[in-house]
Amino acid sequence: MRALRYFVNNLDRIGGYAAQHAVLIVIAIVIAVVVWVSVGIMVRNSRRMARGVLAVASLIMSVPSVALYGILVSIPGLGLSRQSAVLALVLYAMLPIIRNVYVALNGVDPAVMEAARGMGMSQRRILFRVQLPLATPVILAGVRVSVVMMVGIATLAVFIGERNLGVLIQQGLVRTRSDMIIVGAVIVSVFAVFIDYLFNKLERVLVSPGIRGDAS
Amino acid sequence: MIQFNRVTKRYSSMARPAVDGLSLDVREGETCVFVGPSGCGKTTTLKMINRIFEPTAGEIFVNGENVLTQDQDQLRQGIGYVIQKTGLFPHYTVFENVATVPRLLKWEEGRVAARVRELLELVGLDPDENMQKFPRELSGGQSQRVGVARAMAADPPVMLMDEPFGAVDPITRTQLQNEFLTLQQKVRKTICFVTHDIDEAIKMGDRIAIMNHGQLVQYDTPENLLLAPADDFVAEFIGSDRSLKVLSLLPVRKVLKRQFRMVSETAELSTVRASFDASERNRLVVEDERGNLVGYVSRSDMDKAGSARGWNRFIKPFPAFLPPEATLRDALAVMLQHDIGAVPVMEGRRRFMGMIYLDDIRSYVGEAYQERDSDSSTQEGA
Repeated sequence: MRALRYFVNNLDRIGGYAAQHAVLIVIAIVIAVVVWVSVGIMVRNSRRMARGVLAVASLIMSVPSVALYGILVSIPGLGLSRQSAVLALVLYAMLPIIRNVYVALNGVDPAVMEAARGMGMSQRRILFRVQLPLATPVILAGVRVSVVMMVGIATLAVFIGERNLGVLIQQGLVRTRSDMIIVGAVIVSVFAVFIDYLFNKLERVLVSPGIRGDAS
Repeated sequence: MIQFNRVTKRYSSMARPAVDGLSLDVREGETCVFVGPSGCGKTTTLKMINRIFEPTAGEIFVNGENVLTQDQDQLRQGIGYVIQKTGLFPHYTVFENVATVPRLLKWEEGRVAARVRELLELVGLDPDENMQKFPRELSGGQSQRVGVARAMAADPPVMLMDEPFGAVDPITRTQLQNEFLTLQQKVRKTICFVTHDIDEAIKMGDRIAIMNHGQLVQYDTPENLLLAPADDFVAEFIGSDRSLKVLSLLPVRKVLKRQFRMVSETAELSTVRASFDASERNRLVVEDERGNLVGYVSRSDMDKAGSARGWNRFIKPFPAFLPPEATLRDALAVMLQHDIGAVPVMEGRRRFMGMIYLDDIRSYVGEAYQERDSDSSTQEGA
C-alpha cells in the first residue's frame, strides 16, 4: 500500500525517470543493431574471424556491469556522460546479436542456398533476398535478449549520472525505503513485458508468414 | 548441345579423382541420364555444367560456349536447375519462387505474372489455388512440381536435374515421372538428369551414361544398354532382371496383332466350332456386327454347348484392357494378374485395335536378344 501511495504521489518524477530509461535503451539498441548486425554479416563467411569476435564479445559480457561503467568513465572523452552509459549497453548487446546473426546466416538450409546459387543469384542478392529474411526470426531473438538485458543494466547507470528508474532502486536501498524499491522494480518488470509484446508485433511485420512459427 | 571434353575433377581430400577424363556429348532435345553407384561422380559431373563445382581439368561447352569463360551468374540464369530437396525459398510464395529468375532477368511484372500462371498450369498445379501458398503448405509432390516450374521459368534450353524425384513416395514418383515425360514431349529441352535408380534411368532417358569410379563406362540408349551391356559392371548394375526391364521399354504396338480369327456373336454354333477346329488356340475373340469387342469364348465351353444358338451365353467379357501406349511390361502384368493369355488393346473406351498374346511377347523378346547376339559376334569377327 505504501508503494502504491508513493507511486501516486510521485507520478511526475517517476514518469520522468521512465522516459530517461526508455530514451537510453532506444539509443543503445539502435546503435547496437546497426553495428553488430553489420559485424555479424562481415564475419559470416569466416569461421576464424567469427570465433575471434565472439570471444571478445564473451569477455565483455563477463565483466560485471558496475565495473564496466567504472572503466568507461575513466576513459578520457567519455567520463560521467550519457555516452558512457550508451556504450556500455551497446557492448553488452555484442554477444547476443553477433552470435545470432552468425548462426542464423550460416544455418540457412544448404539446399536453399544451392538453389539460389544455381539460379544465378549474386552473393549480395542471396544475402539480402534469402539469407537475411530467413535469419530474421533468430536475429530478432538476439535483439530481444539484448533489450531485456539493457532494461536491467540501465538501472545501474545511475552510478554514472543517469537519472532513470535506477534512481528509485538505488535511493530506496540507501534510505531503506522498500516502497521506492518496489515501485522501481515493478516498473522495470513492466518494461520487460512491454518489450516482449513489442517484439511479437515486430516479428509479425518483419518475418514472412512462410516461416513464422504460429500461423499456417 | 552439352559437350564434355576430357573433364577431370579432383578434390584435395580424396586420393582418386571424382570425375576422371570424362568426354561425352548430350544432343539437343535429349534427356541424358547419369546413373551409377554412390560416389561414382555423377552428381559432380552434373554440377560442373553450371559451375557449382569447377573442373580441375578439361572443358565443358554448353551450346558451343565454354562455361568456364562465361560470367558465372549469367551462365546459371540460362540453365534450369532442379535439386532433390527442391530448395524452394520458404519465405517466398509459390508465385515469388517461380518468378525468381525472370525477376533476376528484369522482366516487367506483367510478363512475369503471365509466365508464372502458364508454368504452374504446365506442371499441373492450379495457379489460382496455389500461387499465394508458401512452400510449407505444399505436399512433397507439389513442391517438386513448383521446383520444376521455377527451373523452367525463363525458358532455358538446358535443364539440370539432380535426383529430382528422389525424395517423394513411390506413387508420387511414378506420377511425377510420367508427367515429366509428357512435359518433355512438349518442351523438348536438353536435359541432364542424375539418379541412382537404374529403373528411373531406363524410363526417363533417351540416353544413359553409366558411371563408375569417376569414369564413363557406357553411354547408350536404354534399349542397347539392356540388350548389350558393355561389361560385367554394367550388366550387374542393370540387374539380373534386365530382360524384364526391356519389356517396359517396348510399346504393345510392337507385338499387337491386328489380324486374327474372330467370330461374330450372331454366328451359328457350327461356325464357331469350325473356327476352333481351324485354330490352335483355346479361346476365340467374339465381336458384334459393327466390329466392336464383345468378349471371348473357350473351346471347352463350346464342346458343352448343345443347341445351335445358345452358345452366346458362354461369352465372357475380358477382365482387363490396355491402352495403345502401354508397354509389354504392363501387358504381362495384366496377364499374370488375371490369369489370361491374351489382352485386348483399346483406344479410348470403344475402339478395338487388336490383341496382345503371351506367346508373341515371348518370341519378340527372344528375337531381340538373338539379334543383338549375332550383331556382336559378327562385329567381333570383322
